[in-house]
Amino acid sequence: MNKLWIVTFETFLRQVKSWGFVALILGPFVIFGISIGAGYMSASGADNRDNIAVFGQSELRQAFVKQNKDDIDTSVKSIKSAEKKIKHNNLAGYLVLKTDNNKISAVYHGSDSMSNSLKSKLTIFTTTVQQRLNYTSAQLSATQVKSLQQQPEFKEVITKKTGTDNLAKMISFWIMVILVYTILITYSSITAQEIASEKGTKIMEVIFSSTTATKYFIGKVLGVMMVIVTQILIYLIGGWGMFAFAQHSELTKDAISQNKELISSVLHNLLSINLVYLLLGVVIYTILAALCGALVAKSEDASKAVQPVMMLNMLAFFITFPFHNNMDSLVVKILSYVPFFSSYFMPMRVIINEATPIEMAISLIILIATIILMAYYIGKIYQGLMLQTDDSSFWKRLKRGIAYNK
Amino acid sequence: MLNVQHVSKSFGSLKALDDINFTIPNGHILGLIGQNGAGKSTTFHSILNFLQYDGEITWQDKPITESVFDQIGYLPEERSLMPKLTVEQQIVYLARLKNKPAKEIRPQIDSWLEKFAVKGTKKDKIKSLSKGNQQKIQLICTLIHEPKLIILDEPFSGLDPVNSDLLKQAIITSRDNGASIIFSSHDMENVEEVCDSLVMLKNGRIVLDGTVGDVRDTFGKTRLFVTTDWTTDRLSELPHVVSVTQREKNRYLLDLDDENAGKNIFNALTNGQYIEEFSQQPPTLNEIFRMKAGDRNE
Repeated sequence: MNKLWIVTFETFLRQVKSWGFVALILGPFVIFGISIGAGYMSASGADNRDNIAVFGQSELRQAFVKQNKDDIDTSVKSIKSAEKKIKHNNLAGYLVLKTDNNKISAVYHGSDSMSNSLKSKLTIFTTTVQQRLNYTSAQLSATQVKSLQQQPEFKEVITKKTGTDNLAKMISFWIMVILVYTILITYSSITAQEIASEKGTKIMEVIFSSTTATKYFIGKVLGVMMVIVTQILIYLIGGWGMFAFAQHSELTKDAISQNKELISSVLHNLLSINLVYLLLGVVIYTILAALCGALVAKSEDASKAVQPVMMLNMLAFFITFPFHNNMDSLVVKILSYVPFFSSYFMPMRVIINEATPIEMAISLIILIATIILMAYYIGKIYQGLMLQTDDSSFWKRLKRGIAYNK
Repeated sequence: MLNVQHVSKSFGSLKALDDINFTIPNGHILGLIGQNGAGKSTTFHSILNFLQYDGEITWQDKPITESVFDQIGYLPEERSLMPKLTVEQQIVYLARLKNKPAKEIRPQIDSWLEKFAVKGTKKDKIKSLSKGNQQKIQLICTLIHEPKLIILDEPFSGLDPVNSDLLKQAIITSRDNGASIIFSSHDMENVEEVCDSLVMLKNGRIVLDGTVGDVRDTFGKTRLFVTTDWTTDRLSELPHVVSVTQREKNRYLLDLDDENAGKNIFNALTNGQYIEEFSQQPPTLNEIFRMKAGDRNE
């Protein structure tokens, strides 16, 4: 097998077999699981605590229970047992519904006042029933009843679904920039550590007596790229699974169906060419991180070496902030063509449908060309950088590495 | 055959190598000796193309590029492996980088571990092995792909006499299989025992070159081992005796400034009588090393 692929697969396997990678992958799923579990427990625990019992006239009771099943604990059969449950904080209260001389009365007993939502449901219920009783006792004709039932008309005329659209863009923006930032920080750090840890040893001399530094360097970058592709794939499959689960889960299905349009819009913004920008962003930052890792004198300094990459990443990340409400500004346009920044700024333009395919293509070509040139040049000086193990200054090592240029 | 011709290398104003020339035929072991900083590692790095240098280095008449990397086995001076890998993973990975398929290497690992008496198994992590055993693993990594050009930078350092013997045997076996071997060492006994020829560097220049026997002979038989009841003072007064060292009771080592003085000294000591010991020899490699290393006029 070609030596480049041997290095690539070795790097890939070493990374994916590490605990760090497993933790990185499982993290979001664990958080999702914990949230679902906590939500479920809280909901099931809150069920009885927030519910009420209903007593009184049978017809009234049944009609109210039928309309408000979710808020009523029908297992409580007597006022005595309701009071006991209230005392033990297992029931919010109980309601007694009665009709006396064509007048509906509803009396609520509880340790605290009735929740506003249930109170409004109760008001609507009692008003409707009372109205029906009033019509009956007033012995009105059908026409009179119909006239009294007339309601005012309220309509909303919305020209564009601006609300959902803007919210989707906002959510997409934040998910995108936080995702890019987190992944870039993670992989820059992993790469710099990996390279620096090798530099501290003489294993590089053995490796460079077996393959060229350029092949080795590119193999390393490809290995890290495969790791990120694996991570994205796992997230996509896992995300799809979680979404499918959430669509059917009692706890979340209502929320999802109510926000279907928003969710679909956000997913559309994320699962697009933006993933390519994310991937290429990881590659270009990884190459820079590898250069920084190769410039340290020993592995303990890897955290220092990765600082320039971190700073650049943070700079790009923070520059996005002022533009989250103004994604079509000129600054965003310019930075969407600048390597190291384009992975943040072009996705912003994609989210608001402001970038044309030609503009995206130009930006991608610039990014890919920069990646190729950087990989080629750093590959050429890589051996010179990696074989320096003295304690000279960062700049001296960089100068010597650049002078090496094989 | 490795051919090193007129190789020079400078680091700034420091001349690390100055017009170095030597050849190592196939099936030949060359010892590269010299003090620390003499240019041994720089010579190795030049051969391996890690450095840009002036001059020419060829292997089998071709420049040393990626196309010949698979024929090279290199052991760097400072030992280093990938600590998180198992012994098997490490050996297989480095062998695969030498274009040896894993399925060809894996079955050999146990016998190599046995050959070098490694304490541990192929499933052990490198970091769990002792320093000495890690060194043996690195030697296995250097030799397992049957290289034709073997470069060993201080291979004996850190090895006990038993393990040194194992390594010597492995080096000799590789030589007998036709490999060209160059190694550096500060232990002149090892060099004398294993090498077919040697090169001594001093301040980046070759100060000695040839077979071990030839090199020793160029210094003349100026070491005289005698057993006599003469005193040290009396021996010191003999002509051409530079120094006298008492080794045991009545046993002395005389350093001469002229090997031809031996005959007269013999006559003076024996006076026609029996003498228990009279042996005139060239200096050992160790002594030559000391002499050459300390010679400021070189």
